[in-house]
Amino acid sequence: MQLKQTKPNLKALLTTASCALLGGTVQAETDESWQFDTAIMQYAEVDRVMATEAIIAGQKTFSNDQVLNLKLTIDALTGASPNGATAQPTPQTFTRPSGNGQYVVDAGETPLDDTFKDTRVQLTGQWTQPLWQDYTVSAGGNFSKEYDYMSASINGNIAKDFNKKNTTLSMGMAYAYDVIEPEGGIPKPFAAMVIGDSDDPSFEGEFNSTRISSDDSKSTIDLLFGITQVINRQMIVQLNYSYSTVSGYLTDPFKVLSLVNENGEAQEYLYEHRPDERTKHAFFGQTKYHFDSGILDASYRFMTDDWKIDSHTIDVRYLIPFENGHYIEPHIRLYTQSAAEFYQPFLEQANSLPEYASADYRIGELDTYTVGIKYGMPMGNGNKLAFRLEYYHQTPKSNGTQAIGALKDVELYEQVDAIIAQVTYSF
Amino acid sequence: MSKHRPVERAVKCQPRGEGFTLSFFSMASLCEVLVETQDEKLALEMGQVAADEAWRIEDKYSRYNKSSLCSKMNAKAGEVVQIDSETYQLLEFAHQCYEMSEGAFDITSGILRKAWHFDGSDNIPSKESVEALLKFVGWHHINYSLETFSMNKGMEIDFGGFGKEYAVDRAILLLSIMANVPFLVNYGGDLATFGKKKNNEPWQIGVEHPAFKAQQSTIVTVKEGAIATSGDANRFLLKDGQRYSHILNVTTGWPVKDSPASITVAAPKCIQAGFLATLALLQGENAEAFLQQEEIMYWSIR
Repeated sequence: MQLKQTKPNLKALLTTASCALLGGTVQAETDESWQFDTAIMQYAEVDRVMATEAIIAGQKTFSNDQVLNLKLTIDALTGASPNGATAQPTPQTFTRPSGNGQYVVDAGETPLDDTFKDTRVQLTGQWTQPLWQDYTVSAGGNFSKEYDYMSASINGNIAKDFNKKNTTLSMGMAYAYDVIEPEGGIPKPFAAMVIGDSDDPSFEGEFNSTRISSDDSKSTIDLLFGITQVINRQMIVQLNYSYSTVSGYLTDPFKVLSLVNENGEAQEYLYEHRPDERTKHAFFGQTKYHFDSGILDASYRFMTDDWKIDSHTIDVRYLIPFENGHYIEPHIRLYTQSAAEFYQPFLEQANSLPEYASADYRIGELDTYTVGIKYGMPMGNGNKLAFRLEYYHQTPKSNGTQAIGALKDVELYEQVDAIIAQVTYSF
Repeated sequence: MSKHRPVERAVKCQPRGEGFTLSFFSMASLCEVLVETQDEKLALEMGQVAADEAWRIEDKYSRYNKSSLCSKMNAKAGEVVQIDSETYQLLEFAHQCYEMSEGAFDITSGILRKAWHFDGSDNIPSKESVEALLKFVGWHHINYSLETFSMNKGMEIDFGGFGKEYAVDRAILLLSIMANVPFLVNYGGDLATFGKKKNNEPWQIGVEHPAFKAQQSTIVTVKEGAIATSGDANRFLLKDGQRYSHILNVTTGWPVKDSPASITVAAPKCIQAGFLATLALLQGENAEAFLQQEEIMYWSIR
């Protein structure tokens, strides 16, 4: 047998091989350097919101299997978002949420508030470590801030391995506290939007009479129970149940409902009002299967809450590796949800006001699908580059409400298309 | 490893210097655990744990024991056999050894013993008989997953190449959890230590290994880590002045030429030392050069 001069370090290879066999007692010389992932993502809806997101995430693994994760995310949002009012056969004028000025929406157009502009900075930290035999604990925190919004959360998780690490049971808990402080304050539920000349001396008083405070808050508790099972060398399955309860200010202060007369003509725009509590249950199942030709990652999620929103999500990815280390990964995601019980596309003058109402299409009946593809390649020295391109389509649907009068002639449920492009680089 | 013989499964305890020596027989070897403690009860418990583990491994992986899992895997060659996670990990290790040695270290090669009888005679097998067996050799014919194992009909696997060293490392692992006292585990010359003796004194023990001349004990001095020896002074063939070692080249089925009589290697783990010693012997005349190049501490006997 010939000796080669360029063999990899035999001692290091052997340390790794015997480490798996003899468990954690081998003092493997772990590389304690940082591993970084960076990403730039662009999300663009046709004629609506445009978001740019930059992420830098660092992970450091210490020799005793302790892991520190830090992540910084910066989002910049610009563009226009539906304000909740219906399209009309005539132009409509709205006051900006801040009370500073008006904007006009053309006849037949879904009203969009074009003052949507924000930058969010988010910092996340997570510490994970083995606790004692077969137990892993993790604790973390998250803080994010944007112009009119602040969110802070803490979480703790514990996992136990059974069955020679073929089964893992995990349990987690998180608490989050959010404060919203919209410019112009929190509107009074069902107060009519004041529309007029904001330079008029009486305007400010009238506008302020529709406000109840400058800020409000909500708090969220999440519980998570999960089991991960290695089925065989090819297959791994994960099942989760999560419970989430949130209380506080859950209304969107920027959203209104059109109050229409019997001809479907908007008479006023009333600020929406949602319940101040919401409890969700979610069931999640995921399997990864390693075929000879690639890796299938398929998941299904069912969520139900006491706002009567039920949703189903199916997400399938298939990673196809090439011999040169490059890979492609097609992705498809299907989503459907039923409407919240207080969702309605508009309010009628003929009816008395309900206790709660929102015309926000995001809690209405909705189907979406996403199709995309990711292409990744090694860049040498363990560095990796990947590109992702996805198309997203959203179809809001009627929850059964009959359109009346003029509303029959306009699009109440406008579809949305978006393109998502992302570049990631890991080093 | 000599022929399997039934021996009484008992652990003997003898006082010794700063502690106790626990001894028992397993895997055709005298096995010893040297514990530095005045607590005799603890020493006995540690000896029993080590012995139980060694016997467990012997019962499970010895090819001499007809009811072992290894024998079952060999008997069912051509079928799919259920395996557990420990066996999977051992197969993974064997696979890594195969890869690291570029195919030279192959636990399916034991079947060549059917042609080769290293009894000191001049009984060299025929080319044909060796070639007939070679088609049953080849790790790449093995299929295994976390739960299943299969190989071609006629093939055999043998964990003997690292079984004893594995038992040493398992003993270190189990005993280190029991008590924080220094100890040394020596199974027929393959040994490993845990902890440091008082004043960082080295361990000094007599080692008998088939690699050393019969009945001759060698005194070994170890501070920490593990050592293992490969080679067998009693297993060779001699014909026309040519010495045929029992280390076989799995590609040709014939003994590796000009390898040392034995190689002893030091490494952090016994199973690592054992693999490196065998891998070195497989290099033949380059054995020492190979270990030097890999910066591995060794002792060679030519």
